Amino acid sequence: MRRKIGKALVVGAGIGGIRAALDLAETGYGVTLIDRAPSIGGVLSQLDFQFPSNRCGMCKMLPMVERDAASQFCLRKGLFHENIDILTATELSAVEGEAGRFTVSLREKPTWVDAQRCIGCGLCRTVCPVTVPDDFNDGLSVRNAIYLPVPHTVPNTYVIDSVACNRCGECIKVCPTDAIRLGAGLRRGFRILVVDDEAIVRESLRDILDEEGFDVSAAASGPEALESLDAGAYHLMLTDIKMPGMDGVELLKAAKAAHPDLIVLMMTAYATVETAVEAMKVGALDYLIKPFDPDALIPMVVRPFEQLQASRDRRLDVGAIVLSTGTGYFDPSAGKGNLGHGVHPNVVTALAFERMLSGTGPYEGRLLRPDNGEPVERIAWLQCVGSRDIQADADFCSTICCMHAVKEALLVKERYGEAVACTIYYMDMRTAGKSFQRYRDRAEFEQGVRFTRGRAHSVSWDADGRNLLIRDVGLDGSCREESFDMAVLAVGQRPAPATEDLCRLLEVPTNAWGFVQTEALSACRTQRPGVFVGGATAGLKDINESVIHASAAANLASRAIHAAGGGIAPEASGEVVYRDVSRESAAVLMVLCACGEGAEKRMNADALKRRFEKDPSVQQIAVVAESCTDTGWDRIAELVAGGKANRVLIGACHPYAYIRRVRQLGAQIGLDPSLIEVVDIFEPAWAAARAGADQATDGDVDPVLAQQSTRIEMALARLKHRDPDPPPAIDVIQRALVVGGGIAGMTASVAIADHGYAVDLVEKEDRLGGNLHWLNRTLEGESLQELRDAVTQQVTQHPNITVHLGTEISGGYGQVGRFITTLRDAEGAVQTLEHGTAVLATGCREAAAQSYGHGQHPAVVTQRELEQRLADGTVDPAGLSSVVMIQCVGSREEPRNYCSRVCCATSLKHALTMKENNPDIAVYVLYRDMMTPGFAETYYTRARQAGVLFVQYETTAKPEVDFGDGGVTVRATDPILGKPVEIAADLLVLATGMTPRMAPALAEAFGVETDADGFVAEAESKWRPVDAIREGVFACGTALSPRSVVESIATGEAAAQRALRILDQKRLPAGRIVAEVRHSLCSRCERCIADCPYGARVLSPDEDRILVNPAMCQGCGSCAAVCPNGAAVVRGLREKSMMETIDAALAL
Amino acid sequence: MATTYRIPVADEDLPGALRAFLQAVLSLPDINAVLAPGQLPMKNTVMPMLVSDPEQLAVADPLAPYFPLNGAKLVSRLTRKPSGGKIAAVLRSCEIRAFVELVKLHQGIREDVLIVGIDCLGALNNTDYARFAGEAATEETTRRFYRSVLDGDGGDFDETALASACQACELPTPEGADIGLALFGVNTRQEILAETKTDAGEAALERLELEAAETPAGRADAVRSLVARRKVFRDAMFKRTQEATGTLEDLTRYLAGCVNCYNCRVACPVCYCRECVFVTDVFDHEPDRYLRWAERRGAMKMPTDTVFYHLTRLAHMSTACVGCGQCSNACPNDIPVMELFRATAAQTQAAFGYHPGRSLEERPPLSEFREDEFSEVVGIEG
Repeated sequence: MRRKIGKALVVGAGIGGIRAALDLAETGYGVTLIDRAPSIGGVLSQLDFQFPSNRCGMCKMLPMVERDAASQFCLRKGLFHENIDILTATELSAVEGEAGRFTVSLREKPTWVDAQRCIGCGLCRTVCPVTVPDDFNDGLSVRNAIYLPVPHTVPNTYVIDSVACNRCGECIKVCPTDAIRLGAGLRRGFRILVVDDEAIVRESLRDILDEEGFDVSAAASGPEALESLDAGAYHLMLTDIKMPGMDGVELLKAAKAAHPDLIVLMMTAYATVETAVEAMKVGALDYLIKPFDPDALIPMVVRPFEQLQASRDRRLDVGAIVLSTGTGYFDPSAGKGNLGHGVHPNVVTALAFERMLSGTGPYEGRLLRPDNGEPVERIAWLQCVGSRDIQADADFCSTICCMHAVKEALLVKERYGEAVACTIYYMDMRTAGKSFQRYRDRAEFEQGVRFTRGRAHSVSWDADGRNLLIRDVGLDGSCREESFDMAVLAVGQRPAPATEDLCRLLEVPTNAWGFVQTEALSACRTQRPGVFVGGATAGLKDINESVIHASAAANLASRAIHAAGGGIAPEASGEVVYRDVSRESAAVLMVLCACGEGAEKRMNADALKRRFEKDPSVQQIAVVAESCTDTGWDRIAELVAGGKANRVLIGACHPYAYIRRVRQLGAQIGLDPSLIEVVDIFEPAWAAARAGADQATDGDVDPVLAQQSTRIEMALARLKHRDPDPPPAIDVIQRALVVGGGIAGMTASVAIADHGYAVDLVEKEDRLGGNLHWLNRTLEGESLQELRDAVTQQVTQHPNITVHLGTEISGGYGQVGRFITTLRDAEGAVQTLEHGTAVLATGCREAAAQSYGHGQHPAVVTQRELEQRLADGTVDPAGLSSVVMIQCVGSREEPRNYCSRVCCATSLKHALTMKENNPDIAVYVLYRDMMTPGFAETYYTRARQAGVLFVQYETTAKPEVDFGDGGVTVRATDPILGKPVEIAADLLVLATGMTPRMAPALAEAFGVETDADGFVAEAESKWRPVDAIREGVFACGTALSPRSVVESIATGEAAAQRALRILDQKRLPAGRIVAEVRHSLCSRCERCIADCPYGARVLSPDEDRILVNPAMCQGCGSCAAVCPNGAAVVRGLREKSMMETIDAALAL
Repeated sequence: MATTYRIPVADEDLPGALRAFLQAVLSLPDINAVLAPGQLPMKNTVMPMLVSDPEQLAVADPLAPYFPLNGAKLVSRLTRKPSGGKIAAVLRSCEIRAFVELVKLHQGIREDVLIVGIDCLGALNNTDYARFAGEAATEETTRRFYRSVLDGDGGDFDETALASACQACELPTPEGADIGLALFGVNTRQEILAETKTDAGEAALERLELEAAETPAGRADAVRSLVARRKVFRDAMFKRTQEATGTLEDLTRYLAGCVNCYNCRVACPVCYCRECVFVTDVFDHEPDRYLRWAERRGAMKMPTDTVFYHLTRLAHMSTACVGCGQCSNACPNDIPVMELFRATAAQTQAAFGYHPGRSLEERPPLSEFREDEFSEVVGIEG
């Protein structure tokens, strides 16, 4: 339910946008979620399998509190939430105002199918004569011109690819609901003027465009064109540049002066491309290179035509804008070094390969060679295609590709084992995330994936074109060649399409490569207040980080809206009181939709009416035409109001499309919406129609009617036994506890307190700031001391935050909504706090160095010690001649087999500082894999340019250190030289990584599970990355896993936002489907407690009963399944209802 | 380590020696009562009795070939919650296994009972026992039985007269007990051997000041040959039963005599529900449903849900089935329920590698979720 007047706009409905939208919607704001694409889901709609489980699990992002506000089915299929308006095929076209008070304009692109009328029956597809490569499968399969953009979405509304469409009109003839608007007349109304001095060009263009249905005229010169423009209203002008007399650019200027709305496309030969580019600066939309390829020409003309159709903008007032526009990809086939992509069919992108593995993909999940359909035996993954490549203007890492390749190789290995050999060509294997290193090790050592260090530079094929030959250069400079069946290219990130336009519109700066530039020390703030980024907009991220950043952006947006007064409850938000029908026996009003004229006869409404008239639970049956229309819906409302029914069953199409309507109807007629159900009785008819089956004649058992009848009977069984009383709720103490006063904990405290809720911040030390007391600045040069002071001040001066210094948690119990926690201060004084949620931000410390002579020799220091000494001057680069840094000391191997993520950046930071202060200093970095994901890569490049030497080592040949006559000697094997090297160093710096500080007693007090390394185990590493397994407990910062200061801040904001979902309500309602216990039947065997995945059940020793926390219970039904006694039951899915439903389904 | 002690048998009076042993156990300071089968004075029958007075143990008759109910449920009733005391219970091996299953389901406290298990000589069906015992169940009835079984000479008792559950029992030794009393392969005319199997058993026997002994060399062979014989019977029974119940039609025929009295579930030691779902309103269908079913099928057997009831119980309980045979014993219409349960349990238990009653450490299969299990069934690839 909307509880606040504030609204937000989320741009981009991929995983980040969905997360941000849900986070805002769950705290009661209205959200408009838009996407350029005609469907939601972003790139994840194409990815079936996710690290680390190699499955999906996106549904775990769905709301867990106030569940009934949202859909509760596969999130890749679709999303419905009471507070979210989803607008697909929609772009942001204008923004006015400021944070808290924006007015945005949204422009919807025509899809030529009326989404309100399309019922997804798919008859249109069966008659469409056009086939084109399907983008969804990266061109590996074909689709029709009218198609489902994502085959598995709900609602399954078709769209028309108007470039491919030949406007034959066959689909219009078969569409039963008259939903297709081809716009043939509209094209005739789109007037195009072709200007060229060559008649042959004019004529051919006229023919092509006329064939496409446009109104085309021609002019042979500039002056003639200007005359025509003055005489008639033209929409588009195509003009040649080189013309005698007035040239194209002059014509452009004159035409635009007289007709500012005219769209102009320039035509040019290669020789004058530069002129064409100049022309774009004075108002041309784009340019075409002669001779024309009609396939390139038509989209250029269709695009402005469609934009013109969409020019009716929708305006909306919002308090904040979250950009989650996702990523674009490098196109390898465009450049010179195409690695065979676009030339040999067996060279595919990582995304295309993922589609090949998908059951909905081109080969239904079988791994086949695209060239001949035979099984694949040898696959090579080539990393860094269009990333970490200065020639491709990509001095950045795309962050996710290493793990993507490992995952794909593992998926192949898990399915095909030894039958398929997998090789990954890589430069550095970037496993800089929680549990990434172990996953990679599993791939290499358990599944036999081969990791080859080296950059593949070319892909060719043998004489018969059958096998690919991949050449690469090893670290030692040797050229290697190997034969493969397939090559998978890890194509790097590029800014999402239209990022530039969007940033210009929002007045938000971009970085050197066109990605959104965020503010210093923030992953999510942009230069413009009120505009935030989540997901991959500011650089490609994996799901875990995208989701964290989306929640952080949602939090910042929420604060912006709240600060502008958007947290006030809307006037009309009075609770709806539903009629109490709990004592009445079921009386069902059955409404059968007869659909529209075209479909009526298929709906069998009268036969169904006869079939169900006798059922004692059915009170009335009515047939309503076009129930989805306002008229139809009004008729249904009249019928309920006029009768005595206490249940409504509507047999129509698309149950999902009615979710919001059903709620409105419930409120209108005072009947709980859970007692209104829509069942799809149309699909059997459409399935028969698609298959070309004839309608049964009288007397026969009509299979369509039988299926429709079964569907209704099943719904009736469900509805009849539905629990009519409202679901339980729990009380919430609207107060938060934050444990840990480092940057993450302080950020989380402010992020919650800014919404008006009280926060207790507990810090073990006697001051706030944590690791920021020794960290001086970031790799980018931002001062962390200033950050620490600023945030500390914010915390200490915040009226809603109480800081408890020198205090520890000594114990606690309770559940979401009400935790009781005991604090003890240094003097031993004890205090008890009650709070609704807890955020754990207990952080990390630098791991102790246990090798290389640390503690024995003064010249051996850790990176932390170096940071402190550089700051206090005890280490002066000017006085040093040679420094060796060893990376991964004691980390990325068992028992600390994880990457600490910040050490490589820290070493680069220190190496660059020392080089700046003393250019003659020799700095050697001994590393295993340099971990500089994202734009940190540029500092790696910079360090190499500054002369820092990088020596790669393997764990099988670690560096060795000797202490001779006062000096330090480091020995290692340089793989480039292929020889052992010996370095005399004045200073040896060890990067030891981080270890978590979570005390076992603290973890126990909050029932938090930790992983093998002592980091807080998330409820789900990708989809719920800051939630602990226990509801109501959240974690942020390095308590979760190693991360930088900026990333810690983002997790603090994200954890706060997750906590706010709970804090935001006095009473937290459970879902309608929630577990209950029939105590009289319960044998207290406690199997249900052991089986509950949400920890929602306990045995109360006082009452000797099993108790269920309804807010924690997610209604999964594990308890009911494991209970043989029928004592564990699920409200809303009781045995009787289930039995009857099954009975009906089997027609027994 | 297990220790073995000797319980002397005087005058070949095996029950007498057992009684003396139980009296000694009852004399232990932390044992408040002994649960053991005893001759009921008022009728010719043997029933479990909870005895606190050592004198009253005079009627104890643990070797009687009578098994009217599975004692696990009784021990569960005595230990479901802390009672403040401790009992010693004389149990057959199938009773011990059933009790272990109940403890896993929090229906009993293992520490509150000292389990004394005796090598199980088997028992007759209730009706057969009445015939065998004649007018009065006396110690002589019991003697005729155990002597003939232990001597293996046939005597006046034929092993094939045992209940088929006992003939199919391949676990006759009391593995889960605290104290196991060995009869097989032991010269029972002179001695019984008491083996300690747990720390609690060890602690108890230590205080009884019995003479230490060695397990005779022939015991293992004696048990092995008995088990081998049982397995032959069992496997033939499985084959027969699986053939008779392989399809839903055959199963329906197999259970045709069932009158939905639910006695089998009352008798079942591992059916621990307080009120079976089959007696709740879930199966109390609306009258119009019966009519609709009849209309659809033309004819329908009443009462309904018979096969469904047995299938449900198989689904719920077969992994925990210890094969005690009380279900068949309780059936008024002589449906071979035990045969069906054991034949099914053999497969469900093998599927999960589960051995009911073997160890408290083994979690019931349905209480444990393993993602990588049965991928072919759940459709999720490993």
